[in-house]
Amino acid sequence: MTRIWALLLGATAAMTFALVVLVAIPRVQLRTLEPDPQVPPYTATQLAGRRIYVSEGCVYCHSQQVRDPSFTYDTLRGWGRPSVPTDYSWDTPHLLGTMRTGPDLINVGSRLPDRSWHLLHLYQPRAVVPWSIMPAFPYLFEVKPAAADGDVVVVPPSPYALPGRVVVARPGALALVDYLLSLDRTKPPVATPAAGAAP
Amino acid sequence: MLVSSAVVVSVGLLLGAIGLGAFIWAFWVGAFESLDEQARCILDERDLRMRRPWETPGQARERRRLYGGPLEPGPGEWGGALGRGGR
Amino acid sequence: MTAPAASTDVVTLRDLDEPGRVPALVAFVSAVAWLLVGSLLGLVASLKFNFPDWWTGWAPATFGRVRAAHLNAMIYGWASLAMLGISVWLVPRLVHAPLRWPRVATGGIVFWNGAILVGVLALLAGWTDGLEWLEFPRSVVDPMLIVAGGMVGVTLLGTVLGGRARHLYVSVWYVAAAFVWFPIIFVTGNLPVFRGVESAAVNWFYAHNALGFWLTAIGLGAVYYFIPKVLGRPIYSYQLSLLGFWTLAFFYALNGMHHLIGGPLPTWMITTSIVASVLMVIPVAAVAVNHHMSMVGRFASLRYSPTLRFVVLGAVAYTAVSLQGIFTAFREVNRITHFTHWTIAHSHVGVYAFVTFVMFGSVYYVIPRLVGRDWPDGRLIAWHFWLALGGIGAFVLALNLGGVLQGLALMDPQVPFQASVEAAAPWLAVRSLAGVVLTAAHLVFAWHLWKVLRRAPTVGPLPPWHDPRPVVVPPPGPWS
Repeated sequence: MTRIWALLLGATAAMTFALVVLVAIPRVQLRTLEPDPQVPPYTATQLAGRRIYVSEGCVYCHSQQVRDPSFTYDTLRGWGRPSVPTDYSWDTPHLLGTMRTGPDLINVGSRLPDRSWHLLHLYQPRAVVPWSIMPAFPYLFEVKPAAADGDVVVVPPSPYALPGRVVVARPGALALVDYLLSLDRTKPPVATPAAGAAP
Repeated sequence: MLVSSAVVVSVGLLLGAIGLGAFIWAFWVGAFESLDEQARCILDERDLRMRRPWETPGQARERRRLYGGPLEPGPGEWGGALGRGGR
Repeated sequence: MTAPAASTDVVTLRDLDEPGRVPALVAFVSAVAWLLVGSLLGLVASLKFNFPDWWTGWAPATFGRVRAAHLNAMIYGWASLAMLGISVWLVPRLVHAPLRWPRVATGGIVFWNGAILVGVLALLAGWTDGLEWLEFPRSVVDPMLIVAGGMVGVTLLGTVLGGRARHLYVSVWYVAAAFVWFPIIFVTGNLPVFRGVESAAVNWFYAHNALGFWLTAIGLGAVYYFIPKVLGRPIYSYQLSLLGFWTLAFFYALNGMHHLIGGPLPTWMITTSIVASVLMVIPVAAVAVNHHMSMVGRFASLRYSPTLRFVVLGAVAYTAVSLQGIFTAFREVNRITHFTHWTIAHSHVGVYAFVTFVMFGSVYYVIPRLVGRDWPDGRLIAWHFWLALGGIGAFVLALNLGGVLQGLALMDPQVPFQASVEAAAPWLAVRSLAGVVLTAAHLVFAWHLWKVLRRAPTVGPLPPWHDPRPVVVPPPGPWS
């Protein structure tokens, strides 16, 4: 059965060719990319929040990329400047996203810098955005009779208010909001040697 | 950058050579010979002689002429019991 | 048909099917179990769009986790297991040699099931790698999948190498190549060395090729077998099938970056993928023309053969999904449809209307030949078919339309974001209804499978197609 070897060899060569073009060459090209000093590494809390963003699957509805104005009107929505590779130097896994069931979040920290807004929005999105179809995340919060020292309290408005009890953010919710507030890629990128990179 | 590009280009060329080699090899061992026979290698005598209820009289005649007298299909011959109750 | 005069050895179809019987049955039955699990997960995920405050108190039921579990249960549970089943049944028939080491194959399939179970539970528990199509934790589940798939792959390779057929039929190319391609892309996709935009590029390199070089490859392999087999005439043009295979191998692998059009990647990568996407016209047209010309004048067979009914519709859906994919790769279209539910509709045409339909048709053909008795009730097959077709039709139409409306709203900066959410909302409700219909179709299918499996073994003569039929095995030629 010589033919099967010829077949498998040809098939492997075809796949390896694509691997060189779409994985190896970009790796060579992007390796020279220096991180943008305006985009610092995430702090421990932000990373913890980012892990929650990943595990709760936020990426399935929210992109983190602004496309070029020559192509779409993303920038006119106030979502920020077009994204560049150095905006993602510390991102693993990447969270570029393929859906905009909800708005883009790459600059949500600049657009909505209010921590209590985010906490309330996570607890019950429709308390702040009536038309939202985002899931509520009550399990990131704790409902108890009274707040203790150091608790971050969320005050849901009617009809979501819970009379006689308080809603307190768990550490996960605080970390997630910390991560969201860190999402700010609005400053013009520092020029990098990778001239082939698209805007 | 220059060194790594050279590596990538030579790997690309090597892969092309391997692909071409595989093609020539396949040609050499007969992968592109007797294509009609290759296309028929999954069909046995029963497949070819069986009466197909959907065939036109002309198609059925042609089948008889090529492969001989028809064999009758069994129930569920075509992958399921559609003949019984379903449509 | 060549003269069998020179034959030195005779085996029967039953000899060829028998060793693969247990692994194939285990694969098909577990695949259908995952189909039901995946359907329920998909339905829950879909309903979450319509009722965002439903079942929010329990973390494993949140949309983002259920969606990932749905995708992985369907791709690696249902589709992949059905494909493993069809592979261990088909390859021995094609190469005229019984399955080598069938217990290894069974072990691999059982282990694959274990991996999926751990993986789906991990996703529901919030343990994920966070890359679409690669969510399963790479430290535990992915190595299990590689070992399990490797066990099945080794038995298939051993079978092919010990094969006695004079020719390698086109289905063997697709199936054998798929078992080489999948480990390459799966390992690459899971390498933990990529970050930032590179990680995105590798992610979509994998995700696109998982469809092209795993699901499509084995799906097309099955189509190339069942259409000629049921019709009793060879495929229209063997040359076209050669052309289709090799152009698919070279062009499809470069397509992945079209999922990132407009994104922050080097422009040349995206342009390469758009060009390769357009070149996909060649393999798609080759396959479409070949299958269509094989069917011409014989479409009435769809009334008689459930297998052909599913397989031919699957083949048509392959053409449709490929053309839709090429169309979507154009920047002018992509700027509207990217980031919308159009993409979800597109992936369901591929994975459901093409791959799943082909697998349904294959199961209808193979199961009776494995258990030695026919499906008990034609009406259940008809119900399954029409529910599945109606469900996926409504699903795709609704999401394509909803996606375009959503995209047009997103493209108009004068219109608030709210408009894009409200434009899609009614179509998402239709999607949930379609999901109910599809789940019903799967329940009918599973019930019918249960009925055919648990019926007492047939007493008396076996169906004619189960009689031992000699398969002519010619002596090894000078070049084989």
